[in-house]
Amino acid sequence: MLKFIIKKLLQMIPMLLVISLLVFIGLELTGIDPLSYMVSPDMAGSAENLERLREQMGLNDPLFTRYFRWVSEMLRGDFGYSIVSGTPISQIIAVRIPATIELALLALVFSTIIGVGIGIVSAIKQNGIIDYVGRVFAVVGQSIPQFFFGIILIQIFAVSMGWFPVGQRISPGGNWSRIQHLVLPVTTLTLSMCAVLMRYARNTMLDVMNSDYIKTARSKGIPEWKVIIKHGFRNAMRPVLVIICFRLPMLIGGSVVIESVFSWPGIGTIIASSVIAGDMPVIMVTTLMVAASILVASFLVDVFTALLDPRVRLGD
Amino acid sequence: MNEKDIVLSVKNLNTSFISDRKEIKIVKNVSLDLKRATTLAIVGESGCGKSVTVHSIVKLMPKNARVKADYILYNQKRGDKITEFDLSKLEPYGKEMRALRGPDIGMVFQDPMSSLNPVYKVGDQVAEGLLEHNPKMSKEEAKEQVLAMFRELGIPDPENRINDFPYQFSGGMKQRVVIALAMICNPEIIIADEPTTALDVTIQAQIMELMKSLQTEKNKSIILITHNMGLVAEMADEVCVMYMGRIVEFGTLEHIFNNPSHPYTKALLRSVPVLGMEEGRLLETIPGITPNPAELKEGCEFADRCPDCRDECRKGTIPAFEVEPGHKVRCLNFNSFKEVD
Amino acid sequence: MTTISKAAKGKSSSLLRKNIKKFVNNKLAMVGLIFMIIILFSAIFAPLLTQYEPAKIDLKAKSVAPNSEHLFGTDKLGRDLFSRILYGGRVSILVGVVGAFSGSLIGVVLGSIAGYFGKWTDMLLIRLSEVFQTFPQMILILIMVTILGPGLSNLLIIFSITGWMTTFRMVRNEFMALRGETYVKVAEAFGMSKSSVMFKQILPNVFSPVIVATTVNIAGFILSEAGLSFLGLGVPSSTPTWGNILNAAKSIEVISNYWWMWVIPGVVISIFVLAVNFFGDGLRDVLDPKQQ
Repeated sequence: MLKFIIKKLLQMIPMLLVISLLVFIGLELTGIDPLSYMVSPDMAGSAENLERLREQMGLNDPLFTRYFRWVSEMLRGDFGYSIVSGTPISQIIAVRIPATIELALLALVFSTIIGVGIGIVSAIKQNGIIDYVGRVFAVVGQSIPQFFFGIILIQIFAVSMGWFPVGQRISPGGNWSRIQHLVLPVTTLTLSMCAVLMRYARNTMLDVMNSDYIKTARSKGIPEWKVIIKHGFRNAMRPVLVIICFRLPMLIGGSVVIESVFSWPGIGTIIASSVIAGDMPVIMVTTLMVAASILVASFLVDVFTALLDPRVRLGD
Repeated sequence: MNEKDIVLSVKNLNTSFISDRKEIKIVKNVSLDLKRATTLAIVGESGCGKSVTVHSIVKLMPKNARVKADYILYNQKRGDKITEFDLSKLEPYGKEMRALRGPDIGMVFQDPMSSLNPVYKVGDQVAEGLLEHNPKMSKEEAKEQVLAMFRELGIPDPENRINDFPYQFSGGMKQRVVIALAMICNPEIIIADEPTTALDVTIQAQIMELMKSLQTEKNKSIILITHNMGLVAEMADEVCVMYMGRIVEFGTLEHIFNNPSHPYTKALLRSVPVLGMEEGRLLETIPGITPNPAELKEGCEFADRCPDCRDECRKGTIPAFEVEPGHKVRCLNFNSFKEVD
Repeated sequence: MTTISKAAKGKSSSLLRKNIKKFVNNKLAMVGLIFMIIILFSAIFAPLLTQYEPAKIDLKAKSVAPNSEHLFGTDKLGRDLFSRILYGGRVSILVGVVGAFSGSLIGVVLGSIAGYFGKWTDMLLIRLSEVFQTFPQMILILIMVTILGPGLSNLLIIFSITGWMTTFRMVRNEFMALRGETYVKVAEAFGMSKSSVMFKQILPNVFSPVIVATTVNIAGFILSEAGLSFLGLGVPSSTPTWGNILNAAKSIEVISNYWWMWVIPGVVISIFVLAVNFFGDGLRDVLDPKQQ
């Protein structure tokens, strides 16, 4: 198992290199002077000074040399500077990543519990009340624009009732205020994720419950709950987990609009404002982060699959 | 032979499926008796309702199925004590029905490839039923029994094989595991639903021999579902021929093979290659196709494909006639004989 | 020969009738279809339904609540919201429909290329579709907005190149399945052109699921347009779209004081997308009963 994990981790390296190369080339193609994002604005100065810097930093070197230098700088934690605000990108990200992860993970946990739970129950009681309500709810959840739902929540619970703050992440007041700030954005994000998960969990579970080995299990005379949990759910878990893992990058990227609605100081808002301002370096680095989160997700998928499926675990 | 020697007796079984708010009848007024320590074969083309019949008996049916029967009596024999259960009155997944699945009725399904749960070790899957029905048994004892069963069924190297997963087994070995799973609680009745269809011919023969020896040595009663007349000839004591959800002919093996009476049975036998067949004789096919059960008209279901079809054949329900003792045929060609139900 | 084709025709038309009947029986799908048609036609015939210009600023009637003169009220610049929603619907629906259909077209073409040539072409396109599929769509759209810039035509291009993956997979898989079919091999052995056999079979086979996937994409793209315009990155705010109208709800002042400026357009989008989704579900039940 350890060998398997190491193998999978090593496989991620070439992928990361390819993605970063793409990002680097993209950055080159935008035609923005690299100096503007590689040097802190305070250090810039006269034109000659810039030219000397350019030579010093090897910006006239061939593309690949510069690429590898860029990568090694990134590995040392130097992501360059925002061309709009002049702040180091590493600083921007360090502040915003925790906020986004907090939001994304909470939404992931809640939507998994609710979505998978309802999905499985609707599959077992197919065409029952829960199934019917769940199916309608899933379509409705997929049809309301996320941000509209968020605004409704703000209007009702923040503006009218005054139970929760309107936006931002933390206002003075410690942990309690932190939770208060989280409730509305997490609810919004959870709702929109639930819909998809519910559908998927239901259909997967239905497939599994119609398979032959479920009939075999029943023919042994074991109680129905054991059939459902031990034989049904155990087999439905793998495909469902795959979807959940791939939700992770979706959550980080997909929360752009939600973060804007709630002025949540995460990666999403920085992406949105960078796109508006044309701050390419920041966009590229955040894109790289999202790409990295996809790799992490697919790594998790591989590990879960191996844990849950003997064919993968024991095969070669 | 007294009536308690009938281990399973089904009377007027009707099964239908609800599809698109329409009820489609799949099994119609099927009655059959399984005698203790014999093999009853149910034969017919695919889609004739033979699988649905046995699944209705053991109540393993999808939710859109409606099963009705006058009775489905099972006579449990433990030593000298005989207890009678009416399966038609039991909840499909209730406690009483579950108690019978495994220790009294074992099932072997058609496709060994998909009948085993891919994520558990085969040994654990076989032991699961044993542990369920013997709550006091330790895991060690269960393992011993599974090992013994694997040895008996000719699975090589059982000590290591019980820790393997289904994907590590070949088709024939998998089917032995499935048989082990059905036999582990030592059931009275084994229902085998096309147990060898998915296997290749040499493996088929091995598996059938295995089942035959289990039956004769341990006095099991077997219901064998198949469309293979060759298997029927080897295995069966009595034969039910089904067509479109009805039993069209019933009799002993000799009755069916020496004196096939229903035009469908005759056609079925003519379409099977037999050893010693005269040279130059062509295998026949049955003309026409099996009709769609949703579009069946009244009268004999076989009428459209029958060479002897007459006008009366298209009216009402065709009764069964007893052409010789114990040999019943549902065909108007024999209406000079005594009508039976 | 003629009788056979006639019989086949009779059969297919009865199948069509059966399918239509099945669809009509699906209440949610029918309700969806009706709402879709109502909203679509009101948008198309907007000039007949309202005398207000969607862009006409009337400073004397700023932020008027709904009344008999302004059915849905006016916005902060005094523009009539009923008119803006009708005209905005034209653009929003157009973006969704054109984006989804051209996305499907790309998918069909790429899918045919991958399925027909197989080998490394297939590998390459599969990888590409995986990248597109795992990358969050919103991020993908945003990156392309950065590269191409905002605007209606760019939005259409962006939606087409982010919405081809499902169709691509379907067409490609259908090709792969057919490759293995005996009759294709037999046709080839008889010297018939494999490509003509495959194309003749595949396109009718994938037609139904492609239509269903396209409806799903229409709904998705209308939502994406709304989200982008809400962020201020979609269609320029001078053109009314459902998303642009909702952009007003970025200010908390509008949210708390002028409900009609955001509730009404939000509800209209939701109803239309809901209608498309119900319609799509009904269509799937009829055309593609395998995958529920």
